[in-house]
Amino acid sequence: MKHFVRHTLLTLALVALGTPLAWAQAQPADEEDPDLEVNVSQPDFTLAELPTNLRLPKGKFAFRVTHRFARPLGEGDFTDLLEDFFGFDSGAQIGLELRYGLFRGAQVGINRTSERTIQFFGQYDLRSQQSFPVGLGVWASMDGTNNFRDSYSPALGLIVSRELGRWGALYAEPIWVNNTNPEPSELTDEDNSSFIVGLGARLRIRPTVYVTAEVSPRVTGYAPGDALISFGVEKRVGGHAFQLNFSNGFGTTMGQIARGGTSNDDWYIGFNITRKFY
Amino acid sequence: MNRAARRVALALALALGGAACDESLKDIAGPTPDLEPTFSSIQREIFNTTDSSGRQACITCHVAGGPAGFMPLTEGVSYGNLVNRTSPNKLGAVRVIPGDPNNSYLIQKLEGTPGIVGERMPRTSGPFLTEGQISIIRRWIELGANND
Repeated sequence: MKHFVRHTLLTLALVALGTPLAWAQAQPADEEDPDLEVNVSQPDFTLAELPTNLRLPKGKFAFRVTHRFARPLGEGDFTDLLEDFFGFDSGAQIGLELRYGLFRGAQVGINRTSERTIQFFGQYDLRSQQSFPVGLGVWASMDGTNNFRDSYSPALGLIVSRELGRWGALYAEPIWVNNTNPEPSELTDEDNSSFIVGLGARLRIRPTVYVTAEVSPRVTGYAPGDALISFGVEKRVGGHAFQLNFSNGFGTTMGQIARGGTSNDDWYIGFNITRKFY
Repeated sequence: MNRAARRVALALALALGGAACDESLKDIAGPTPDLEPTFSSIQREIFNTTDSSGRQACITCHVAGGPAGFMPLTEGVSYGNLVNRTSPNKLGAVRVIPGDPNNSYLIQKLEGTPGIVGERMPRTSGPFLTEGQISIIRRWIELGANND
């Protein structure tokens, strides 16, 4: 199995990194591409963690930083929280993500979090809301711990979105994530996969200000802890999106999202910053 | 998008979807990579063998006439000395209770649980069994502590 996974890694690495660079040189992006326009209902590629159906123009890049501070907000009293500047003084799980528009409607990317999980992912826009009642995208990813040497978790799912005019969008995302259970099958009776149905919303409350909320309940399979929940407020400034968020866990890759948040009612502050290079 | 691109996307999605993975027992087993949750494997890899971490084989002491000869763990007698057998050192303690690793005294001695009588095993002050090795022994007990 490890051989197979390594082959998959190699394929993904070539697709995610090699091909885009070659294509970028060989095929200059079409400046008339409607994907270059700002989509005010889906201004970013993710909510806090869950993917959206925002299309990345062919040949263009986007970069995202995620920060989840490790101090539980409920630790100590309010004075303690103030002394720690609402958790910003604490260590954090940091993620760096780069994505690339491979061809129209398709994007690939790589995300590495500071506890050394690497996720490769691809997303393809199957149907847009212009021709169908909802937007439909397919998501495929694989993350691996220890710099993609151990504990591989492939994921496959659908991203269903419904734009609410110019007021935002709602999301439902049924996603199967394999190997979420850290125990080998010989040592556990529990499932080794999780099936989540991510539910989320982004609402535009001012021309460039949004609120987001999402929850990723595990409807079947391995389900430790509580479902990961996040909500946040977001400001779009040109090609940047700044989001301040609150979560009950640190997960940002699909395997981490499926493993859920903490089960002890702890909440953490964090932020996302996305930069579109177009 | 052209047909070739669709095929690439579909192949990528299928490759990922089909790449079902599982954690490897060998990775958990650490210095005894062939250890499995069966009694014969535990006998061979834990009781009989000094492993690559330097952890002493149990039968170094747990052998008839040895320093821990009251509980031989040599092949043929070890199972009967463990499963459903009370410990003479701690009142009410049962060495292995099938299906109940937490209350099995063997696990408590291997983990050094507070309240055990005497030292954590192996008593050579380490190396002790790794967390993974102990989890495999726990699983054997959880599955009914069969003589398999």
